[in-house]
Amino acid sequence: MNTIRTGCTLAHSRIWPALCVLLLAGLSACTSTTIDEFRQAETGISNDETVVILGRRQGAGYETAADFVQCVGDRMGRGRDGLSVVPEQQFVDALFPWFEPRTAPLRSDDLQQLMAQPMVSEKMSQFGIRYIVWLDGQTETTNRMGSISCTVGPGGGGCFGFGSWEDDSSFEARIWDVSSHTAVGTISADANGQSYMPAVFVPIPLLARVEANACNSLADQLKLFVQGG
Amino acid sequence: MIGSINPVRVLTMMMLATLCACAASTVEVRGSYPSPTIQRIPLTLGVYYSDALRNYTYTERSQTGDDEYYVESGQTHMELFNTVLPAMFENVVLLDDPAQADAMGVDAIFTPSIDEFQLGMPQKTRLEAYEVWVKYNMRLTGPDGSYIADWVMTAYGNATVGGLSTAESGINDAAVAALRDLASNFSISFTAVPDVRDWLARRT
Repeated sequence: MNTIRTGCTLAHSRIWPALCVLLLAGLSACTSTTIDEFRQAETGISNDETVVILGRRQGAGYETAADFVQCVGDRMGRGRDGLSVVPEQQFVDALFPWFEPRTAPLRSDDLQQLMAQPMVSEKMSQFGIRYIVWLDGQTETTNRMGSISCTVGPGGGGCFGFGSWEDDSSFEARIWDVSSHTAVGTISADANGQSYMPAVFVPIPLLARVEANACNSLADQLKLFVQGG
Repeated sequence: MIGSINPVRVLTMMMLATLCACAASTVEVRGSYPSPTIQRIPLTLGVYYSDALRNYTYTERSQTGDDEYYVESGQTHMELFNTVLPAMFENVVLLDDPAQADAMGVDAIFTPSIDEFQLGMPQKTRLEAYEVWVKYNMRLTGPDGSYIADWVMTAYGNATVGGLSTAESGINDAAVAALRDLASNFSISFTAVPDVRDWLARRT
């Protein structure tokens, strides 16, 4: 929003700000996001405790993208009430080989068994891990329609046509309390939106920020959840 | 202007360009592997890397049967075992020859070998990922060469096709992921291999 205001106040004519706002408003396609929370136990976190966010990668069909996991972690660590989030790769490397796709605990009961190993519980204590958040999900692109054709000739080039597609993000976060070795809740985020690409000489992408919205909404809800809000 | 171009030079350059386009690429797999956080076994292990493992190269052929990629993974396999084994055993000794084992005072000799290597390329599998499967034969013998255990392990790794990444980096990342998978499975399941378990029960 700040960027829009800055860009428009630079224009001297009165008509330009209105055009500018209209154009930029049109450039962002709509996204709808739904968040569901299921709480199984009370939560809370102290200043010296940390959270680690891990992507589930056991499925044959898809893997939770590392950049989505990082996005959620970065967002949870931001702001005055930001949590201390341990980077996924640092945690997985330090606790190798216990959190690899083939060996990671699938249920909170498995965590209890894992924590029974002195070397594992010692590493967890060093990091100050209070909560492990397992992220599972993906973004799928469906309903691709339209076509754009581009040509280049001696006098120049250009594109003409129209394309659209739908992005659907579906992610689930399962939160485990390391201190009690139990699952304390699940938060799911579903976001979808339609993106458009009209092309008149130049393709103009009107992208729905589906995955980014799912990331932001899920991270904000997770932060509230572990803080006990 | 045209007169200044040397036709022989142009022809040579065209031939070189054609040769470069046809030549197979070599991918020397490079990666780093974390040391496992596990309890050490209080024994001395001798490790023997055969020439077949040291120089292991997989050749990926195109659909027309031409060599497309040479995937060299011998060096990185040795780096992997050199990282994993010292975290699993109290002492690890590298052997140039299994016959040295007795003189070096090792409790057992470990000899890994690659039985099979497969590469899945996106243009062939129609998946948005490079995939690597490896089948290993792990052999554990006494210092005198007597049988202790012999078992098969498999490893799998993949790397998603990136916008600007090359096929070479995709193959490398998938191979490193497969080796990491091997390391995790090997370090956790080693003591659960029945013959190894029986041997350890007698030794420790």
